[in-house]
Amino acid sequence: MDMYAFRTLRSQPLRLILTIGGIALCIVLMFFLLAVYRGVADGSVEYIRQNHADLWVIQDNATNILRGSSLISMDQINAIARAPGVRTAAPVLFLLSTIRNGDRVGTIFLTGFEPDKGLGGPPQLAWGRGPRADDEIVLDRSFALKFGFKAGEEVDLQGRRLKIVGISRGTNAFVIQYAFVTLRFARKLIGVPGLATCVLVNAEPGAEIGPIREEICDVLAGLKAYDQETFLANNVREMRSGFLPLLYTVAVIGAIVLTAILSLLLSVNILERRKDFAILKTLGSPLAFLWGMVIKQAVLIASVSCAAALLLFFPLVQVVEKISPEVTTKSTVGQIGGVVAAVLVMSLASSLVAIRRLRRIYFLEAFS
Amino acid sequence: MNAAAMSGPVIRLEKVTKIFDASGHPTTAVRNVSFEARRGEMVLLLGPSGSGKTTLLTIIAGLAKPTSGSMTLFGKGVEEYSPAELQSLRADKIGFIFQTFLLIDSLTAGENIEIVLRFCRKRRAERARKTRALLMELGIEHLAGRFPRVMSQGEKQRVAIARAVANDAELLIADEPTGSLETQQAVGIMGLLHTQAKRRDATVIVASHDLRLKEYADRTLHLQDGEIR
Repeated sequence: MDMYAFRTLRSQPLRLILTIGGIALCIVLMFFLLAVYRGVADGSVEYIRQNHADLWVIQDNATNILRGSSLISMDQINAIARAPGVRTAAPVLFLLSTIRNGDRVGTIFLTGFEPDKGLGGPPQLAWGRGPRADDEIVLDRSFALKFGFKAGEEVDLQGRRLKIVGISRGTNAFVIQYAFVTLRFARKLIGVPGLATCVLVNAEPGAEIGPIREEICDVLAGLKAYDQETFLANNVREMRSGFLPLLYTVAVIGAIVLTAILSLLLSVNILERRKDFAILKTLGSPLAFLWGMVIKQAVLIASVSCAAALLLFFPLVQVVEKISPEVTTKSTVGQIGGVVAAVLVMSLASSLVAIRRLRRIYFLEAFS
Repeated sequence: MNAAAMSGPVIRLEKVTKIFDASGHPTTAVRNVSFEARRGEMVLLLGPSGSGKTTLLTIIAGLAKPTSGSMTLFGKGVEEYSPAELQSLRADKIGFIFQTFLLIDSLTAGENIEIVLRFCRKRRAERARKTRALLMELGIEHLAGRFPRVMSQGEKQRVAIARAVANDAELLIADEPTGSLETQQAVGIMGLLHTQAKRRDATVIVASHDLRLKEYADRTLHLQDGEIR
């Protein structure tokens, strides 16, 4: 009788294909949203994760670098560097700026850092090296692809010519991409010497972080020092608060559409086969058997749809990333497994909606 | 079930009345019907369309409740059975033959028979063995993998009878089994049903307007306007 579940679905092939197609697209949407989220999540905080600073010092009104405003003076930077137990204090200046080359113009999150300090630079290089001189720049890979900037060519940044000496990875925050220049060059752009957005601190070997943090916060009013883990969490939280509500909304809409499509198919199938169901009831079928049949149909459709979605998803991602390089996606087995599990749960919910129709099928229909 | 019940009638109806009340217009489908049927007996409910035959069959099978009167099924008042017990009773002890046979189109002949055995909780191997045996007994083993849409009326009849007796039913209920058949086919199916029922000592209740069936029945009850005349 398991074949009955399958054969009744197969008896309307066009309807079945359209249903599986619709559900597969909903699943692709969910896969895609999660992959974009993971790509954005990594791109937004990879800079922090890869820089391995013991402490991130920032103005106390800001908790993150994504959506916070912080200015630290030269005196404060020097005081941080002199604090007991500090080996390296690397100031970093973040600016929003515009890069152009001919008619190609793009906005970047310009990151000025001191290359000799070994902190604050690009987390990964896809090509080339980091900037060493004031006329050199490293661009994010997605940004370079989107605007057609090529490695080795010169670009214009606020009237200054810079050579692209490197292409970075893990620096795409979806709405904005990082670019890296020397701190001296960044300071020249704003015309205020000695200014930084934050200071990355590494401690002397064997020195405890707690006392250094207390020293910085006690002595330097208006500054706050976060350990790597806390600062990373702050930035992740900030990124999620801006992005997750949209993701959840679209994902929930996708899930509702999926459940509705599947419920509709199962319900129509029951209504069209109501005489069969009436016969089965009359012949002594337990209700659980009929429910099981509808559930099997739901799970079967959901499984085939998941397989179809997986086949569609990876080529689709390649196409999207080619068309919009700033859309960086990242898929893991865990998130795909999570979506598949969620789809199976939704298929059960759909079957429960459809099963209610079974109650309204009466024995007497077998005798009419 | 006790010995008295075993030796008593398989079904007994006393002054059974069934009134349908659709949209405030009550219609009496069955009125004060009393009769009983014993093991191995074939009872023909003969009457024209609308005489209440099918309603009476559904009451006998425990599928509909009488509005008044009482009915015992296998020695127990039908109202004493829970819905789950009635479902088990239909699966284990009652076989059905519907008008135009009503085989399930999406299942093969073998599967149409096997499903009944599944309802009475037979194991897979037992179901397969019994299905094969029934197909052979009725001379339709070649139909095992065929779907109803490619079967002749005669073949469908045989599959329907095999399905009805698959659970070794003690009570067989047939609703207009010859309704749309030519004489030769009607004689064929009744002969087959009669043989199968006698072989199993099953009680058979047949509802029909077909006078040709009288010769197979042990007893004929004439039903008109819901009453036995």
